[in-house]
Amino acid sequence: MRATITRQLGRARRRLVYGLLGIGILVVAGYMINQALTTSLVYFILPNEYAQSPSQYDGRRIRLGGLVAPESVRFNDFDLQLTFLVTDGIETYPVQHVGAPPELFRENAGVVIEGSFDSGTFVSDNLLIKHSEVYEAPEDGHIDVEELRRSLQ
Amino acid sequence: MMDASERLRRPAYLRIWGALLVPLFLAAAYLGLVWSPQDVNQGNLIRIMYAHVSVAWIGFVAVGFTALFGALFLWRGKRRDDVLAAASGEMALLYSSLTIIGGMTYSRPTLNTFWTWDAKLTLTALMVALLVGYFIVRALVDDPVRRGRVSAVVAIVVAASLPFNYLAAEWFRTLHPSRSIALDGSGVTMAPEMLFTLLFTTVVAGLIYAWFMVDRARLGHIEAQLEAERAKRELGAAPSAGGVVRV
Repeated sequence: MRATITRQLGRARRRLVYGLLGIGILVVAGYMINQALTTSLVYFILPNEYAQSPSQYDGRRIRLGGLVAPESVRFNDFDLQLTFLVTDGIETYPVQHVGAPPELFRENAGVVIEGSFDSGTFVSDNLLIKHSEVYEAPEDGHIDVEELRRSLQ
Repeated sequence: MMDASERLRRPAYLRIWGALLVPLFLAAAYLGLVWSPQDVNQGNLIRIMYAHVSVAWIGFVAVGFTALFGALFLWRGKRRDDVLAAASGEMALLYSSLTIIGGMTYSRPTLNTFWTWDAKLTLTALMVALLVGYFIVRALVDDPVRRGRVSAVVAIVVAASLPFNYLAAEWFRTLHPSRSIALDGSGVTMAPEMLFTLLFTTVVAGLIYAWFMVDRARLGHIEAQLEAERAKRELGAAPSAGGVVRV
């Protein structure tokens, strides 16, 4: 009888210890995930953020996010040289990229480009499209630039 | 006591439910592939979105149920809850893997890459890895009670990452587009036909998940009984050679 009670007490205590341990691990894991996501996972920077401290990114490989400025796209299909201006509405930088533009690449499209700055021009080797969460049927026709800009924030 | 074949037989409601899934799946495919209009930017590529997003949502739901049944097992210790958790966990792993495969399929022609390590994709990869871990843990632990407890904790950890994943595109800068349907009712940025198609495919994906989950749990209960029977025989008088157990 006594042995049973002792065993049950031991089990209750062990359950408590494991429970607290589990909660502790959860808290630590949650904290770590949050830290990792907020500090190191700034996926891309905006042109105006680059403009604030260009030296910080000197020669470093970065991702730059922005919109393709209207009437700035030039593509030479002989040597696949693609140039355009990327803008966040505050700062604008010229971009050089080698390769055919992706299917959804167009004026006012959101882009994320990977590469580095070389004397004021962003030399990109990877051109990604960042489309907004707006899906509509073609009749609507127009593209809301403001909405696209907000989707970049 | 029912005889073996009777107990192994799939009950009538599951057979009817399963048969209904076929026309529902075809209807969802028709809505997504034919009926839905093209997107102004993406054209026909929008059609991949219906499969990708509906499967991703139901994958989240599956993870949620895995954690819920796991928590119930921690609370009440009923074997039944652990069986349901594991059944849901298998579907969670399947759906989240399909989310990544569908996402890559959708992402290559639209975003111009198969993969990038942004917050949302990283969290989804983490989710798949942890779900694989869930089944590694289950395979490693022999004692059913301990197995249920340890794996329940893993399931709860995976579920804890869901809100981060769900809101990743709002909270962090990602390549992945943010949500088109705000649950707080602040708006839907999707044409009505597209919304209807997406909701329909989501309901069908959910019914498919639930069917496999319930049927897998049914088999899981039989497995659990078998396991308990075996354990009893090993503990009791040494079984006569072979230890054949009839279901």
